[in-house]
Amino acid sequence: MIPQQARSSNGKRMVFSETMYHNIIKILADLRSRLQAQLTIFADMNGYPIAYDQDVEDVDIIAMTALAAGTFAATAEMAKLVKEKERFRFIYHEGVNRNIYMCNVSKEYIMIILFDKSVAMGMVRILTHNTVEKLEKILEELAREHAKASQFLDVEFKSLLGKELDKYFGIK
Amino acid sequence: MYIDQLRQEIQFKIVYYGPGLGGKTTNLEYIYSQLDPSVRGELVSLKTKDERTLYFDFLQLKFGRINNKRPRFHLYTIPGQKHYGFSREIILRGADAVVFVADSQPARMKENLDTLADLEKKMIAQKQSLDKFPWVIQYNKRDLVNSMSIESMQASLNFLNVPWHQAVALNGKGVFETLRSVIDLIMVNA
Ligand SMILES: Nc1nc2c(ncn2[C@@H]2O[C@H](COP(=O)(O)OP(=O)(O)OP(=O)(O)O)[C@@H](O)[C@H]2O)c(=O)[nH]1
Ligand SMILES: [Mg+2]
Repeated sequence: MIPQQARSSNGKRMVFSETMYHNIIKILADLRSRLQAQLTIFADMNGYPIAYDQDVEDVDIIAMTALAAGTFAATAEMAKLVKEKERFRFIYHEGVNRNIYMCNVSKEYIMIILFDKSVAMGMVRILTHNTVEKLEKILEELAREHAKASQFLDVEFKSLLGKELDKYFGIK
Repeated sequence: MYIDQLRQEIQFKIVYYGPGLGGKTTNLEYIYSQLDPSVRGELVSLKTKDERTLYFDFLQLKFGRINNKRPRFHLYTIPGQKHYGFSREIILRGADAVVFVADSQPARMKENLDTLADLEKKMIAQKQSLDKFPWVIQYNKRDLVNSMSIESMQASLNFLNVPWHQAVALNGKGVFETLRSVIDLIMVNA
């Protein structure tokens, strides 16, 4: 099993097994096809995309996720301001042609869906709800495992990285 | 840090922190302007009308395979203005390292100190602390004639003896040196 790891916001390192990762992708692909959505992303609250499924490669996933995490954070603050005890559960942006729906997956993760205007909002909510439940089950399993970064960042990697950076950074 | 073994990616988050108008955004703009498009993404900037950072700037650096792994660096700047405290807290979450961009003008010294204190407070809120966390200082705006001496800036800000650099972000001097040194620090600590 190949470990997949991320550091959650409380500093813990999370490990995804390859099977879990493939399961997540499958869940995202399933949701995307059922909604005929253009894009589904599963990401952590820090703005790291963990997995996504996309029909055409025209959206910058990295930027999209960073902005989504920022939006979520802002909304959480708004919830505080109006003394809403829980965070808002989802955020919805309506465009002329495309809509974006974003929601929490447990406390540490988010899901982003980009879909066509013609898809009924009720359907999005119901199918997304099911998907979130499936993802949360996977996250429960995940919570038990940990790993160390040093396994991945060996001495050779570090020295080769330095050379690569010098090539682009133009430092004499 | 986030390791995606399937796509063979290792992602690191570097946050440029510092007082308002210190030159954080200028650092990212210079990096963006100099790097080959093959190794950088788009610069995402959320700005107010008067060019101040409203939420954050974001730039991804992506390198080819190194020992079968693709390193990615996510650079963020925080908004330095006082009233954006909550944005700073959120952007700092999950950071692997910080570049503290200090303003060399004497009139900005209090802002430098306040912002450093603010950083430490937010670190503690995340159960971390500056004396155990990888960070470097960049003394920016060295081109200004009234800039403070490095000795006195060091004495006030670098009490933890972290790596430091002089810079003129506006023309790029010291910008890549700073970035290189913070990446080195991440590698030492990883
Ligand atoms: N003279 C001089 N001006 C600089 C230098 N670096 C940045 N500036 C100028 O300082 C001003 C503020 O720079 P920004 O990069 O926007 O500052 P910031 O730290 O991102 O500010 P906030 O977003 O408000 O936190 C701009 O007018 C820059 O052109 C420098 O090295 N020398
Ligand atoms: Mg800025």
